[in-house]
Amino acid sequence: MSEKQLLKGNIAIAKAALECGCSCYFGYPITPQTEIGEYLSLEMQKRNLAYVCAESEIAAINMALGAASSGAKVMTSSSSCAVALMQEGLSYACSDELPIVLVNVMRAGPGQGYIYPSQGDYNQSTIGGGNGDYQTIVLSPCNVQEVVEMTYKSFYMAQKYRNPVILLVDGLLGQMAEPVNFINNPYEEIDNSSWRLDGAKGRPSREIHSLEPEQNKLNQHILKLSEKYRYIEQNEQDFEEYLCDDADIILTAFGTMARVAKAVCNHFREQGLKYGVFRPKTLYPFPYKRLRELSIKAKLFIDIEMNLGQMLRDIRLGVLSNAQVSFVGKPVGDWLKKEEIISAIENIAKECHASL
Amino acid sequence: MQVYSVPKSIKENSTFTFCPGCDHGVAIKLVAEVLDELNLRENAIAIASSGCSVLLYDFLDVDCIEAPHGRACAVATGVKRAHRALKNDKFVFTYQGDGDFASIGLAESMHSALRGENITAICINNTNYGMTGGQLGPTTVMGQVTATSPLGRNRQYHGFPIKTAEHIALCEGVSFCSRVALYNVKNIINAKAQIKKAFEYQQQGLGFSFVEILSTCPTNWKLSPSEAHKKIEEEISKIYPLGIFKDIKND
Amino acid sequence: MSYIKIDKDKCKSCYLCMETCPKNLIKKSNIIGKTGEYVVEFQDNNNQCLGCTQCAIVCPEIAITEVYR
Repeated sequence: MSEKQLLKGNIAIAKAALECGCSCYFGYPITPQTEIGEYLSLEMQKRNLAYVCAESEIAAINMALGAASSGAKVMTSSSSCAVALMQEGLSYACSDELPIVLVNVMRAGPGQGYIYPSQGDYNQSTIGGGNGDYQTIVLSPCNVQEVVEMTYKSFYMAQKYRNPVILLVDGLLGQMAEPVNFINNPYEEIDNSSWRLDGAKGRPSREIHSLEPEQNKLNQHILKLSEKYRYIEQNEQDFEEYLCDDADIILTAFGTMARVAKAVCNHFREQGLKYGVFRPKTLYPFPYKRLRELSIKAKLFIDIEMNLGQMLRDIRLGVLSNAQVSFVGKPVGDWLKKEEIISAIENIAKECHASL
Repeated sequence: MQVYSVPKSIKENSTFTFCPGCDHGVAIKLVAEVLDELNLRENAIAIASSGCSVLLYDFLDVDCIEAPHGRACAVATGVKRAHRALKNDKFVFTYQGDGDFASIGLAESMHSALRGENITAICINNTNYGMTGGQLGPTTVMGQVTATSPLGRNRQYHGFPIKTAEHIALCEGVSFCSRVALYNVKNIINAKAQIKKAFEYQQQGLGFSFVEILSTCPTNWKLSPSEAHKKIEEEISKIYPLGIFKDIKND
Repeated sequence: MSYIKIDKDKCKSCYLCMETCPKNLIKKSNIIGKTGEYVVEFQDNNNQCLGCTQCAIVCPEIAITEVYR
């Protein structure tokens, strides 16, 4: 399977999930991600796999929780305001150490908002709205090809780390068709026979729960989870650099905004200004390490987001006081055009440009 | 000849953590006995819930996952469907309180019943939120004094309770639905027979099976265990009548 | 000869077994249990136990662990 196909982002997610052995999908319709569930409804029934039109997103994430305990590969998908309903389930899944892939194809908010393209769920995904010390892994694709690759990676990382993974997709990307080289799933299978619940036959019974009345045991459990998160932070930071090596000014962006950022970068390079683009591919773990290295040499970082600066906090934490940090963005739901960004930057970077 | 022993599906050396005289212990014992009799222990996956029923996995020697509050039937749906997708058939049941099943989780419970998920739900109805100290719940009867209905449940102020079994019986996907009590030996034996039937209906793939168990909460009712049983016999079972509300084999 | 075994460590002194035994063979002992009340004991000096298991059926603690008939 290597010929190019023209695929919409949502369909690419569904196809890639099937390709890497997803056997359970639970979901509830919400624009702009509904095609994922629509596509899978037929394909999974044809294959005798588990597909439930859940009564709510709350039910969907809890069905996913139960299904994940069986050792099956499980996916649910939703969007922004409905992912908000799944926060309790994510907190449980983290504490229970259950692998769930949650695809969030973002829409504008807060509240009901609307279906306009948005990057408004950076905070919801990387910080989360559930209770307790927990972390979900968050992957952010910027084109449909990467949607396929990161769907594979989401399932792999969920199984490897026994943790929920959020595939955070811009609404634009879910709805956009692009040519895709539909590669095979490159990841190995992870053995889950030591923990899955499949009946206590020839072994002691197993229990999966987050309740722990003994204070000491609860502390130990949370510290064990924390160690896992630290390991993930050390080993899984992923990013893309574009012309960063000699850059004086680095544009930071995630998802589709990074594509616009590259066009902006090219525009300034043509004027002889040394621009680069830094794009986190993992939003958690955030690639602080490389960002810090880049901040030693670069003079100015300009963060570009389709929101009012949700990733900006992480950019500042990475850059510290090594360089200046500035921001270009619009409220969620308003697409930032290349020309708008260029004119905003010309304003922001006037002094910096003059000094170069 | 030994005519009674601790069920094999009860964990060795486990001790129930319920209040003295609480019917939860009897209900879990019955579930364990039926698991033994139907030889289900090694193929079963239990879903624990929030409330007094949460520590189920400390008592039952079967694989067990705890569901978030109210979501036991959704979790059970996921467990059952996932194993079917993996070409296994597992025996899946929930053990929930009335607050979990019929209040916070009513949507998940009823939709599982409507879909006819091939799972079994056991619901302990003790007419209050026991774990948190006896507050008004969905099944608190009219006039009942609780921590949050200090003057008694009142039609105008609190509204009406839910008759859970009667509502579940209306769902097309339900194979078996009954309400039982545990206030004397005869009722306990009958309750066990109903639980067994509910489990067998799942084994036969007939759809959602449900047993509501009227249970005492001596601590929060502020009655002795014996007085609490008397209350079930004389009051509660008149409001929530015992019996089989649906049996697709007989209907 | 029928008899029962009681695990006194499990008894929570609810006394439901005492009220259920048709021959009144279960009595309060002089041992104080975990709830601060006297736990029950089996007293059958005249071999009256029927081995009917009713005490075990009603015990919410599975503290009546064995019944022999």
